[in-house]
Amino acid sequence: MSGREIFLVGLSHKSAPIDVRERVALAGEALKCALGELKAMDGVREALVVSTCNRVEVYVAADGDAPARRFFTARAPDAVDHLYVKAGVEAVRHLFRVSASLDSMVVGEQQILGQVKEAYGLASAAQAAGTFFSRLCNRAFATAKRVRTETGIGRGATSMSQVAVELVEKIFGDLKGRAILLAGAGKMGALSAKALASLGADRIFVTNRSPERGLALAEQVNGNFRTWEELPHLLAEADVAIISTGAPTYVLTREMLVKAMKVRRHRSICLIDLAVPRNVDPACGDLADVFAYDVDDLEKVVLSTHEARRGEAARAEAIVEAEVLAFAKERETRAALPVLVQLRRHADAIARAEVERTLSQVGAKLDERGRRSVEAMAQAIVNKLLHGPTTRLKEAASSGDGTLAGAAAALFGIEAEVPRPKQAERREDAPADAARAAASASERT
Amino acid sequence: MSIVILRIAAALYAGATAAYIVYFARPRHARLATGGAALLSGAFIVHAIAIGVGCAEFGGAEFFSLRGGVVLMVWLAAGAYLLLQRFYHLPTVGAFITPFILVALIPALFGTPGHPELPPEAVRHPTLTLHILSAVLGVALFGIAFGVAIMYLLQEREVKGKRFGALFSRLPSLDALDRMVQRLVRAGFVVYTVALVAGTITATAVWKSAWSWDPQQIVSMVVWILYGALVQLRHSGWHGRRYALLTLVGFVLVLGSMVSLKVVPGVTRHAGDYGTGAPAGGAQ
Repeated sequence: MSGREIFLVGLSHKSAPIDVRERVALAGEALKCALGELKAMDGVREALVVSTCNRVEVYVAADGDAPARRFFTARAPDAVDHLYVKAGVEAVRHLFRVSASLDSMVVGEQQILGQVKEAYGLASAAQAAGTFFSRLCNRAFATAKRVRTETGIGRGATSMSQVAVELVEKIFGDLKGRAILLAGAGKMGALSAKALASLGADRIFVTNRSPERGLALAEQVNGNFRTWEELPHLLAEADVAIISTGAPTYVLTREMLVKAMKVRRHRSICLIDLAVPRNVDPACGDLADVFAYDVDDLEKVVLSTHEARRGEAARAEAIVEAEVLAFAKERETRAALPVLVQLRRHADAIARAEVERTLSQVGAKLDERGRRSVEAMAQAIVNKLLHGPTTRLKEAASSGDGTLAGAAAALFGIEAEVPRPKQAERREDAPADAARAAASASERT
Repeated sequence: MSIVILRIAAALYAGATAAYIVYFARPRHARLATGGAALLSGAFIVHAIAIGVGCAEFGGAEFFSLRGGVVLMVWLAAGAYLLLQRFYHLPTVGAFITPFILVALIPALFGTPGHPELPPEAVRHPTLTLHILSAVLGVALFGIAFGVAIMYLLQEREVKGKRFGALFSRLPSLDALDRMVQRLVRAGFVVYTVALVAGTITATAVWKSAWSWDPQQIVSMVVWILYGALVQLRHSGWHGRRYALLTLVGFVLVLGSMVSLKVVPGVTRHAGDYGTGAPAGGAQ
């Protein structure tokens, strides 16, 4: 039995460039086949492959990391330079951090948990993941959920178009029955218009100085093209205007807005200026019921989100650490259980045999109540005798000490498979203790 | 007896207020909002019992004083807010309504109602109860509109000033707040109109004239015109900031007139001998 029984070999956006990642990434049937291959390899008890566009990670419960390494080298020989390998509790911690979105490119993004869940679903359907990985993954999912609810790691907007959506939501609620105007053919503009369309806007107007590009853009965002000359009129119709032209001057002036607001009867309008240099006169924002934002305003929100998430990430790490320790401890306790079960079975068998022997001799002289008293007495003796050893074995197991379990087995003559007493070197810090605990815990199913 | 029950209700209101405020500060704990709503419902029921017991004790006489009027108004405001909550799921609004309810109720908790006297028999026209209830409910609705209008102005400052802080994320959208103010003003106006009609009928019967330049009548008419104008302005496209500001002005006027007319003795025929010349508390 190896000292460490879970291994992770992987590469991610942090360690490998995209051209390596895309060569090893797998999905669907190919992934199922790969899981089957891994499982068939010598010494592999369980396997899990997390494959997203940012990372490919292979987790195996095995005697070594070689099978997981082979997964990568067979697909891309040069991947070797980008691999990271973790074992035991380090691998557990990594999975927990990945699930909790602490290792993501955008920390706190929500997709990764779903992707890990999907990976586990595939592994379990392919019968590559067994009870150990089932417990491991469920703990990882629970940890991710805790992180999400107990910290603000997922809060805030992380892109300009998300900020635009959030702002518009705070002004209009949703955009049902409202219109979006997209003026100019900037790339950010089209992205934001698409994001805003998800709020339920029922019309998107597109206008551009050059009709060709405007028409193409209109098709791209599912909007209606209007000529550039209609702009003042469109301002009276649209509730959100996204402006991103290449013009070096203000395209929307204060006078235009004053006129438009009169026609609008002061219904609120939100102006989002994505152009640099700016296309919307900043004086527009001073008008009543006009809400104007420029690139700087949006960028500031994105930055503050990142800052807030960094702060929350520290709290999230603490939660992950606590869960990793708890998981390791649980594994160690579980490892001691076979001894306990055997011990209990052994004692019960003796008690039953002795009760039967006694009753066969004097049972006839006893009434029903008397017979039951004899049974109860035997059971009580077993319980009282075993109570102390049971608690102490559990305590010893959860503090990472396997010697007692072995001693108990030897002492009572139980021929159960028990964790080997460790002569591992002592390390000072608690995580290291946990590392040993997880590493020495063996999987019995 | 009714005062003791009222104090229990006040304690429940205080609990609801605390829950809503803490929820506002820590919106992740959704249970606080549910707890606040439950406490508020409890307070509303206990308050109803207090009012019922009060009616049994004093025959409804206490509702002719400022104290009784406020007690009734607070109860109706709490009920109106609970009803509102059923239709709009905006639990952060609670933090802006319940403190007003609690503060308004506090003066009524100290000192006993004494021996309130019913107005003279001559005034007790069948439409009088309707007049009082609808007037108080109308004011309660204007009061809630006031609270929501404050939220609108706060949120507008955040959104416009590009301060995307705690208030920004917790307050509902401007559009939702704006529409809520409008609906409350409209509902309040309808109910207040009923109060004026019932009052006119009562006045015609009791004082033999529908309009007698009584200060209470004048103030009520001004309030009615103001809120009527608000309802009308909406149709001609008034939105947002100006609308919220006018709502604030309207309620300050209502509150100011309510207190001043009750405090200054003899200024209006809506108190004392009610302009009948007969001593108050005549034969029941």
